[in-house]
Amino acid sequence: MKPTRAQFEQALRSLRNPALRYADIRWTATHQQHVRVRNGEVDALSATVDRAVGVRVLIGNGWGFAATSHVSEEAILQTAQRALEVAAASNIASTADVVLSDIEPHVATWASAFEIDPWSIALEKKIEHLLAATEPMRGDHRIHQVSGDLSCYRQEKIFASTLGSYIDQTTTEMGGGIEAAALDGGEFQRRTYPNPFGGDYQAAGWEFIEKLDLPKKAPQIRDEAIALLAAPKAPAGRFDLIVGSSQLALQVHESCGHPTELDRAMGLEISLAGGSFLQPHMLGNFRYGSELVDIVADATIAGSIGSFAYDDDGVPAQRFHLIDKGMFVDYLTGRDTAPTIGRKSNGTVRAESAARIPIIRMTNINLEPGATPLAEIIADTKRGIYVETNKSWSIDDLRLNFQFGCEVAYEIENGKLGRLLRNPVYTGITPEFWRSCDAVGDRASWQIWGLPNCGKGDPLQTMRVAHGAPAARFRNVEMA
Amino acid sequence: MVSEQESQAILARALAVANADEADAALISVDQNISRFANSNLHQNMSEISASLTLRVIVNGSMGVASTSSFDDEELAQTAELAREAARHSDPLQHFSGLYQDHEPVPQLATFDASTAGLSPMAKAHDLKVMFERGREAGVQFAGAYLTSAASVATSSSHGVQRYAQLTFVDATVIALRDGSSGYASRCARRASEVDILSLGEEATYKATLALGHNEELEPGAFDVILEPPALAEVLEWLNMIAFTGQAYEDGSSFFVGNLGKRLAGENITIADDATDPDFLPFPFDLEGLPKRRVPLIENGVIKGPVVDKAWADRLEMQPTANAWHLGSPEHGSAFHIDVAAGTATRDELIASTKLGIWVTRFNYVNGLLEPKSALMTGTTRDGTFLIRDGKVVARLPNLRWTQSLVEALTRVEGLTKERRRVATWFNMFGGTIAPTVKVRGWNFTGKSTS
Repeated sequence: MKPTRAQFEQALRSLRNPALRYADIRWTATHQQHVRVRNGEVDALSATVDRAVGVRVLIGNGWGFAATSHVSEEAILQTAQRALEVAAASNIASTADVVLSDIEPHVATWASAFEIDPWSIALEKKIEHLLAATEPMRGDHRIHQVSGDLSCYRQEKIFASTLGSYIDQTTTEMGGGIEAAALDGGEFQRRTYPNPFGGDYQAAGWEFIEKLDLPKKAPQIRDEAIALLAAPKAPAGRFDLIVGSSQLALQVHESCGHPTELDRAMGLEISLAGGSFLQPHMLGNFRYGSELVDIVADATIAGSIGSFAYDDDGVPAQRFHLIDKGMFVDYLTGRDTAPTIGRKSNGTVRAESAARIPIIRMTNINLEPGATPLAEIIADTKRGIYVETNKSWSIDDLRLNFQFGCEVAYEIENGKLGRLLRNPVYTGITPEFWRSCDAVGDRASWQIWGLPNCGKGDPLQTMRVAHGAPAARFRNVEMA
Repeated sequence: MVSEQESQAILARALAVANADEADAALISVDQNISRFANSNLHQNMSEISASLTLRVIVNGSMGVASTSSFDDEELAQTAELAREAARHSDPLQHFSGLYQDHEPVPQLATFDASTAGLSPMAKAHDLKVMFERGREAGVQFAGAYLTSAASVATSSSHGVQRYAQLTFVDATVIALRDGSSGYASRCARRASEVDILSLGEEATYKATLALGHNEELEPGAFDVILEPPALAEVLEWLNMIAFTGQAYEDGSSFFVGNLGKRLAGENITIADDATDPDFLPFPFDLEGLPKRRVPLIENGVIKGPVVDKAWADRLEMQPTANAWHLGSPEHGSAFHIDVAAGTATRDELIASTKLGIWVTRFNYVNGLLEPKSALMTGTTRDGTFLIRDGKVVARLPNLRWTQSLVEALTRVEGLTKERRRVATWFNMFGGTIAPTVKVRGWNFTGKSTS
């Protein structure tokens, strides 16, 4: 089923057009399995296999992309010809010069590591694990629903280009989590572990699920869901806010990851996702956050779902600062965007599969750990709020005005965690928020969180990214 | 697209290897071209052909689902084995009476237009080039997307229920940008002749240049709003997810629970799921093979009920509503054709009747998960937000954040236009929303402007 290198080279050779400047071809086979239990029974159990071939060509200044889910030799050649036709159409309405940053050809094979293949674990064991993890959350009449999810993902990908690159990559991932939903009259509360929307995800095998130890956490999640029903509403007003690791990871995603995508800054994604307040003239001279804020893009972290060896331009994975001591210093770029700011691609172009065109995507975008233990940050806070675990998210089209809701909050009075609070919502303006950061948690509170559902592009592509973050404190933040 | 004969042949091979008590399958094939542009430059142009088959089996009352994009005998056999394995490990569906097995006729609807299916990337590029040139003359730059697609949808079951339809779809979005201001226009239809990209360019330009140079700001507070169809559609899509689906109803998070038959919205609010309206984006059946029909969700302000697939209809002791858009999906029914009844006003009349208010073209990044029981949502405005004073549009406003309970807002709808527009959404190839422009009293704007 996997195309041969000879087939790929034949397809690239078939692109006969004197104005052809560049072409690449990708093949992917994406395997997914999802198990969900709910209220003591299996609620959903599905398996999918998607195969696709995509061909991208640059004729003059016109890009053409064609894809098919038929992966026969004949279909690959036909797809290559369609890409040429589409590029010819693009040339009619292309008004900008396309400049590609230089790249060396690479021939390589890479696979993410795992100890226990997710597909080697029998379905019975996966189901039993989830039932064991969710059963302790049942029993109280206020618990209306308990559920657990396990997801297995594997993508095999081959990339070949007219530059001579031939790269074979395989990524294997696992994710899982549990949820308790409590209902009492008109009040409805959810509590999840370790994260909502299916849990946390890593480029790993079954060993990651064992490490999560879902059954051990279940009683605490149940108790917190019930306690939230009667908890007072988080107050409105301005507070010193300590944001826990998983929520801060999403804050990084929305307010740093997306606005540092150069295609957004160039207006290329305005039609659906929007633009960016971070414009190229601000590079190197715009204070994004306080001096404590170091945000790094790092596609080389072993075990994270934002990692790979080569992007879908064939550029090697890299680590670089986006925000250096609070200053905005770089974008996420690709070969056709980096030259517009006088730089080379830093290797962040990816597509969800060969069925879609590659665009700039986040990798692992991390807030680097600071030096202060979380307990010290709390002890140093006279009057504040601690929030954890995302519940809702919204940000404007330039990534400035954000509002996040969290599952839980705790009062902080005189350096001590106090009452549990429900429905906390905080809001702010991105650079004002990050400039107000005056304490960043140390390595002990730092964790990397897998986010397998980042949406971007049109047609929308779902990308697997990740964010490392510690807890951190922000002064005088508005709670809604 | 895959022909009816070929589709049914593939589905027959899949069902033949299902080896289950019952089985059904759906084959969806899509051939689409998407031309994306920005800075008045066609920068992404994509031709995508895809096909996928989903097989669902019932074994001893339990359900298993698997899907594949390859249809050779070996792959279909593997897919069937995956589905059977899933069913073997699942619990029996509660009160399940079996897959749909009636053979009711489906409504005869015009879903396919050959000229739309044949529209080439080259022809679209020529139209875009003309629009770009007109934009340059008007001093605006354009961004957007122009999608055309032709698809085939086939279903078949072990009970002999077979369905097939071809559908075309065109969806164009244009954003005009000038001097930091932007304007938005969009249209979607089954027929390309109903979507004029050049007219959209003119409409977006009008919005981008209206009251240009007259900028004001507002402190947060409650204001009367005029919401155009794209804005209303986005909150209704969220309402579908948190209130209309079978799953939201069953898990208790929907505000419909405990309120069936009660009037929670104004008498002027009627919302249905209706794929049979020929003026909308019609489609004749759902993926379980049930004929589509109009399903009232809220009628004259009274809560009528959720949409449910066959399994959840049996579980909840309801009638299935023909809303299964993925076999075995966790939503257990989703309203993919949200139809809001029209009123009698014109947009100009709604604006003229507003002493102090905000005219909203569209929303951005709405989230409806804050408090599902009151449908509390938040989002921002974008691409054309205007201040209305004494019945006239007097200034452009920056984008504003709002946080609003939709349950409350639906009690305060003061007017709806007679004209309705179709609005597409990225996750729904079958339909979308058709809605009028509405005027709502006291919409809660919570955030200062940012751009």
